[in-house]
Amino acid sequence: MIDFNDVSFEYKSAGADGTRVETGGVSNINLKIKKGEFVVITGESGCGKTTLIRLINGLIPGYYNGELKGTVTVLGKSVKDTPIQELSGIVGSVFQNPRSQFFNINTTDEIAFAAENQRRDPEKIRNGIAQTAKLLNIERLLDRNIFELSGGEKQIIACAGIDVLSPDVVVLDEPSSNLDRKAIEHLAVILGKWKEEGKTIVIAEHRIFYLKDLADRMLVMKDGKITEEMDAERLKNMSYEDTCDRGLRCLSLSDLPFDKSVISGGETIEFRDFCFTYKDKKHSINIPELEVPQNSIIAIIGDNGAGKSTLARNLCGLEKKCKGTIIYGGRKLGYRERRHSSYMVMQDVNHQLFTESVGDEVILSMASKKASDEEKDGKAKEILDSLDLGRYMEIHPMALSGGQKQRTALASAIASDKPIIVMDEPTSGLDYHHMIQVAKQIEKLKAMGRTVFIVTHDYEFIWRCCDFIVHLKNGKVARSYEIGSDTAEKLKNSLFGGEQYV
Amino acid sequence: MSKSWFKLDPRTKLMMLITIGLIMMSGTNVGMDYALRLVCVTLPFVMLLTIGNYRAMIWYVLIFFGAVLFEGLWLTKINGVLNIIVMTFCGVITRFGPGYVFGWYVVRSTSASEFITSMERMHFPGAITIPMAVMFRYFPTLKEDYSSIHDAMRMREIGESVKNPFVYIEYILVPLMMSTVQIANDLSAASLSKGLGVNRKRTHICQIRMTALDYIVVVVMAVMLVLSFVY
Repeated sequence: MIDFNDVSFEYKSAGADGTRVETGGVSNINLKIKKGEFVVITGESGCGKTTLIRLINGLIPGYYNGELKGTVTVLGKSVKDTPIQELSGIVGSVFQNPRSQFFNINTTDEIAFAAENQRRDPEKIRNGIAQTAKLLNIERLLDRNIFELSGGEKQIIACAGIDVLSPDVVVLDEPSSNLDRKAIEHLAVILGKWKEEGKTIVIAEHRIFYLKDLADRMLVMKDGKITEEMDAERLKNMSYEDTCDRGLRCLSLSDLPFDKSVISGGETIEFRDFCFTYKDKKHSINIPELEVPQNSIIAIIGDNGAGKSTLARNLCGLEKKCKGTIIYGGRKLGYRERRHSSYMVMQDVNHQLFTESVGDEVILSMASKKASDEEKDGKAKEILDSLDLGRYMEIHPMALSGGQKQRTALASAIASDKPIIVMDEPTSGLDYHHMIQVAKQIEKLKAMGRTVFIVTHDYEFIWRCCDFIVHLKNGKVARSYEIGSDTAEKLKNSLFGGEQYV
Repeated sequence: MSKSWFKLDPRTKLMMLITIGLIMMSGTNVGMDYALRLVCVTLPFVMLLTIGNYRAMIWYVLIFFGAVLFEGLWLTKINGVLNIIVMTFCGVITRFGPGYVFGWYVVRSTSASEFITSMERMHFPGAITIPMAVMFRYFPTLKEDYSSIHDAMRMREIGESVKNPFVYIEYILVPLMMSTVQIANDLSAASLSKGLGVNRKRTHICQIRMTALDYIVVVVMAVMLVLSFVY
């Protein structure tokens, strides 16, 4: 079905310091994927798993430039010699970022798009859409503006488009990166359906827990090579240590060790009458009272639309109409004071890097007018060094990798001297090692005396570094509690399945 | 997109846009020209009404008539530089406003696939229509990005520490452009992998056809153009 014959590929690109970077390429890949097989490719960032996906759907060499050796054939067609438009009829693709994979604004048009491009009969496409919508239970998403949909819903629309096109092969590149638990479950159902229909599925993914019952085979990659192959049996029996050793995300939370020291007592931050409704009346939060420990790491969890981001925005004082206050260190903070004392590291860090160099970026955050330029420089260097960014001081922030950009934003947060730091999904799309790295940086923030709020779906990450949970549901605090050895079971239950706790 | 009860073909809309643009920019304010301009001023109002965009409609009426009133009543009473500034400002609104608002209506009421389909019918090359269709899709993204960047600036209190407006604009534009490049890249890859090609014919589920109404509107527009140039 899919055949890699001694395939090597190198991207033509330059890194932050101008030297040629060769991350993400692959070398000497030999791989045969049978018809109807469900193959998961995993491994650390830059290991080449995305490259394999692009070699199957023809984006390499059709779109990404580089040096390609060897041959890839899909259904007997050589990918190199087949125009990508033709290949797109037999290979459907789902990408990582739900925001940037849509050509249309209307959802129904988007679902029809790939099939239209293959010159399918309009009447058949229309019937196909109706059938797919029924089967995937997404009738309510038809004929809507895509920009009104959540990330998870967008990803489901992408899948629906493929379902209508119904190609023999489906490739997915980290489709779950931006999804919450419910959306991932929905995605898993769709993948299961495709598997039943006998489609060949190849999926590159960090978060493999939702795939362990679907996968026929898992490939672990490192530095552009396939280092290990596992069959379904082996995959199901992987222990927590096994996944850690390979730099993989855990397969289930149940075997996560709990080794955090629990701190109790100390000062608290109080939320009072924290109510806010958006103009569209759709999302709102209503928190009359909430107390969280100061100088700790607080996870804000809940399903999409539960009000996590709304709470974060209000906490940072980005909504003027929010009447509530928080009491921090005995002081009452209204929205304006909150803006002075909090700093948000956004999910898309591209939106918050403004200057020409990493050093300037950090200095921009230093509010103090008294400090001389040398002092600021010195302090910036110190902060950047602590985040392994010292040697990038003169580099343009946009030339950095995603993780480096995020650390630059963190460095600015540290430089701002603001006591409250809010992070929106800091670990979405990160592999195990990078997740641990972020967790360590957040622990450093805590050691500096900051209070860190983290909006996240990443339960392994919560497990690793958070002290306190605020669980939102329909804009209200459903539960809030400290993570300790006694509440660990409760947390597992409320995070996975146990609906009675939610 | 299908919510409108008064649906015109994209080709008809284009014809209307051209007519409005030409008549509003040329011509005078007397006789036949005046009547034609009156029609052109009313058209965006009516069309916004058909897609139920009342907010834009009200803004259009307020701003346009505000400019007309300013021009008519106030302009004679002031002189000097202020006169020139007000005249230019009002002139731009009264001459370009209706065309601009109608263009906005076209964007709002036409989906990307309707647009591509009707352009294909008129034998426009894909190399022109596809980038234009991407533009349609890009505006909402731009809006999202802008508001997120604006938030980031507020949070970092950049408005307070940076007084130079050019630096301020740079701070907005740099992340906006970076984000645009990123999205454009991803979007191109995604569109290619969904089989979009410049020289490929495609089918379409949207029903695009010229109805009797379309023909009537096109004829009326043509008559208006002829009148405007003959008189």
